[in-house]
Amino acid sequence: MSTTDEQSNADSEPPGPDIEHAGPEGEHAGPDIEHAGPEGEHAGVAVGAARVRGRARLRSAMHPRATRAQLVAAVLCGVLGFAAAVQVRANQDAGLTGLRQTDLVRILDDVSEREARLEAEARDLEETRDLVSGGSDGPLAALEEARARARVLGILAGTLPATGPGIELTISDPRGEVGSDVLLDALQELRDAGAEAIEVSTVDGPAVRVVASTSLVDVDPGAADHSSGVDVDGTTLVSPYRFRVIGEPRTLAAALDIPGGVLDVLSQRGAQGVVTERESVEITSLRAAPSPRYARPAGEGDGS
Amino acid sequence: MIAAIGLVLGIVAGLFLEPTVPTWLQPYLPIAVVAALDAVFGGLRALLDGIFDDRVFVVSFVANVLVAALIVYLGDQLGVGSQLSTGVVVVLGIRIFSNAAAIRRHLFSA
Repeated sequence: MSTTDEQSNADSEPPGPDIEHAGPEGEHAGPDIEHAGPEGEHAGVAVGAARVRGRARLRSAMHPRATRAQLVAAVLCGVLGFAAAVQVRANQDAGLTGLRQTDLVRILDDVSEREARLEAEARDLEETRDLVSGGSDGPLAALEEARARARVLGILAGTLPATGPGIELTISDPRGEVGSDVLLDALQELRDAGAEAIEVSTVDGPAVRVVASTSLVDVDPGAADHSSGVDVDGTTLVSPYRFRVIGEPRTLAAALDIPGGVLDVLSQRGAQGVVTERESVEITSLRAAPSPRYARPAGEGDGS
Repeated sequence: MIAAIGLVLGIVAGLFLEPTVPTWLQPYLPIAVVAALDAVFGGLRALLDGIFDDRVFVVSFVANVLVAALIVYLGDQLGVGSQLSTGVVVVLGIRIFSNAAAIRRHLFSA
């Protein structure tokens, strides 16, 4: 009863405000709408009437009434709003539980790939960190290693005294037949046999440490007699010569004693070579380390 | 009016209650929401057309939700769940647009 009244009221209201909007629709619309009759001959009239009816119905629907239709619509709209809100909230949480299997597999792949990349990066960074900080005893260990290396190199370069097992080779040359060639052969033989440190001297005379750059030159090359001695790195040595050699004694002695070897040559020339194996040979003669003028360690110099 | 109030109440309840969506429902809820949205727009259009019927509204609302969920479920079982979901959303989106266009014609004659 009351519903019908309200609807009729609502239907009768529109003409007032709608006339204001009738401008664009032309002169035809004006009078038709004043009639408030929905059934017009003109299409524009029909549209205008539909609009009027639509607004009227919307307005009437906006009136809160406890009809069954309104309540049902309210309940269902409430359900929709509730579900939408819940879904939006769940979507914002961005949990993985609602995703499909394929999506999950793709995400897992992405994560695995990312993890591998980050692990590689972490390894690089850890290596860099170890290089920089060197751990707790890194610098000390490196220093100790460098010192040990310097000692070994010092022995090889002749800048440090050395001691160890080895042999003594004494060459007495009463006839002056032994020249630099024989001494050089002896040195080569000793080196081949693994001699680690060598010192050559006149017995009870000056001693010269033999290093990589050592040279042996006859003092008087033209003479048939070699008794004038041999110039070793600027020091003149004369017979009898003595080699102090550190290395494996038996190997060194055997190397000198082979047929056609140093001792053979000495006896052929009327000289005498005596090899003595020793538990401990001390080499005390030193050589100043040469400082190269031009050569620089490769990979360390900064070029300046 | 009551419907709008119901919508607002539902949204507020959803925001403040913060219920956890059950796992079995999670793939279907978004599709169901879109389907329900389509039903609501259809109802609004029917209201403006003057042919609104609460029984039809309820039936279309529930049927829309159920059919959409069923399609998604079937797609999941067939292994084309994501594609079918996209298809359902596209179809419902087209319907929502056409309903919105009808509503707009009713309210603005344009």
